Amino acid sequence: MTTTLQKPAELQKTVPPAGATRPKRLGQRAVGFFMALPPILLIAIFVGFPIVLAFGFSIGLTGGLNHTIATIGQNVHEAEAWWGTFAAYQEMFTNKRFLGDLLLTVIVTVVSTATVIFLAMGIGLYLKLKGGRMARLLSGLAIVPLFIPVVIASWAILTFYSGTGFLRSVFALVGVDFPVWAFTMVTVIIGSVWTSLPFAVLMVSSGLQSVPNAMIEAARDAGAGTLRTIVSVIVPMAAVPIIIATTFTAIGIVGSFTVPYFTGPNSPNMLGVDMSNYFSSFNQPQQSAVMAFTVFLIASGIAALYVWANFRSAKEQGKV
Amino acid sequence: MAVATGSPAASRTRRPLTLDAIVRNVLVGLFVALMVVFILGPLLWLGVRAFAGTWTYPNLLPDDWTLRWWQVVVNDGALGIAVQNSLFFAPVTVLVSAVICLPAAYAFARFDFPGRRFFLISLFATNAFPKMGLFVTLAALFYALNLMNTVLGILVVHVLGTVVFMTWIPAAAFAAVPRNLEEAARDAGASKLRVFTSVTLPMALPGIIVAAVMSFLASFDEAQGTYLVGAPAFMTMPTQMYSLVLNYPTQVAAVFSILLAIPSVALMLAAHKHILGGQLAEGFQIK
Repeated sequence: MTTTLQKPAELQKTVPPAGATRPKRLGQRAVGFFMALPPILLIAIFVGFPIVLAFGFSIGLTGGLNHTIATIGQNVHEAEAWWGTFAAYQEMFTNKRFLGDLLLTVIVTVVSTATVIFLAMGIGLYLKLKGGRMARLLSGLAIVPLFIPVVIASWAILTFYSGTGFLRSVFALVGVDFPVWAFTMVTVIIGSVWTSLPFAVLMVSSGLQSVPNAMIEAARDAGAGTLRTIVSVIVPMAAVPIIIATTFTAIGIVGSFTVPYFTGPNSPNMLGVDMSNYFSSFNQPQQSAVMAFTVFLIASGIAALYVWANFRSAKEQGKV
Repeated sequence: MAVATGSPAASRTRRPLTLDAIVRNVLVGLFVALMVVFILGPLLWLGVRAFAGTWTYPNLLPDDWTLRWWQVVVNDGALGIAVQNSLFFAPVTVLVSAVICLPAAYAFARFDFPGRRFFLISLFATNAFPKMGLFVTLAALFYALNLMNTVLGILVVHVLGTVVFMTWIPAAAFAAVPRNLEEAARDAGASKLRVFTSVTLPMALPGIIVAAVMSFLASFDEAQGTYLVGAPAFMTMPTQMYSLVLNYPTQVAAVFSILLAIPSVALMLAAHKHILGGQLAEGFQIK
């Protein structure tokens, strides 16, 4: 499916369409631009603008539209100069609790994402190389969480691993005292993996399926073992979908709120929960904004990888 | 694009049953069993709870069964209103989102215009920015615009969560419609509108349906933003869950969870062929 930018140009070179004159194409470009505008405007007004506003607030610019929130909020650092102040950032980055939670957020994100991608790769490769009913069952199972609202999933997982949950009950029946995982970071990781699995499996297995079987057989004929075939033929050819799955999973987890809120401890917990606590419970919106921008910085680092992977794939397809 | 059930590369080479193969099969079976417990276990554990009277730890089943919790939910006015609100916001969100996003999706697929790449990537910003942080920043603007505790404010939050689905997935679907089919229809004398309604739209429909389903569920499941913007004036089913878990017996929350899951499961089952068929995966690759 490569019907993109390059196609119209190619078509016009080989088959000059009757009415494709220059001004018309210019008109089409304008039509395209204006058709694409509404969602962009929506994002600009309700995502872009508030982010700029909140960044101003986080560096102590409390005038204008930030006035209301600066008056309501407590412990607001106000800037004296026009370029703002990093006092709020300084406060948070010397705050032990915040730094601990930041580290925790990074650890949970890395561990959960690695687990999700590992499982998705395993299922995808099994489906590709072996197939059969077992493989379809596995991939079907992995899609189930897509059907379940996150609020419910979090709560179900909490009760499953709680003090009176299934695992503890089963182990208690054979006389083993299993640890309580509810309200620990273990359930947060389990919940994150659970909720992120379907998208990763869909993305990765779709990518793996599109690797031509002829390539795999050629590698086998040349004497490559299964592992060798996977590492040097299949994975490189499906690299872009795998990177997309990884980045989306990581971004989803780094900013997650519902899963850690339901299943995690009060403190330490992930930054999504901290943000909400600082905003609503502690009424410190500026500190909350600082956290939002910290998470955003991490997320945009991951997002850059995603954009890069997409550009690479578009380029490759353009050359074909 | 390949379907999840594609033909496997190695299925025709059937190996004899060696010790190696047995060990491998046992390992695979063990992994499947673990996945069943991991994925389905929590859901079943919760589902049983909705019909449970008392439950003594560490028994694996409740001591007695009852339907009384379902009555509690049906008779509770607040919970009923939450159901109503959810059933109002989700379809309206899909409609508004479709009106705003579908023309853009078509434009991304069919026109080359200045800023196209930049537009596609800036849509991604809604996903890159942490949702909680986004709502925290949005709150300041909503206070200024008087959108707090209004239907419009909640709609904005819900629609924001659907823009990526409603733009990217249909865009990929539109792009996948072969141009020469459209041109053939044009050559046969069909008008532009006719070509769109009888060639392009039907072929892109699966992608649009997947986008609509994902948007409906995104709205139906949205909790954080609705809570921040709408509570306590407008409670939807997911926001009601937050207080339900704290203030009601677990069985009531279990019943409510089942109710909340019904539309999701029904819609997903209806569209699962297209979702598994790669429409979703296709949409997330910027081209």
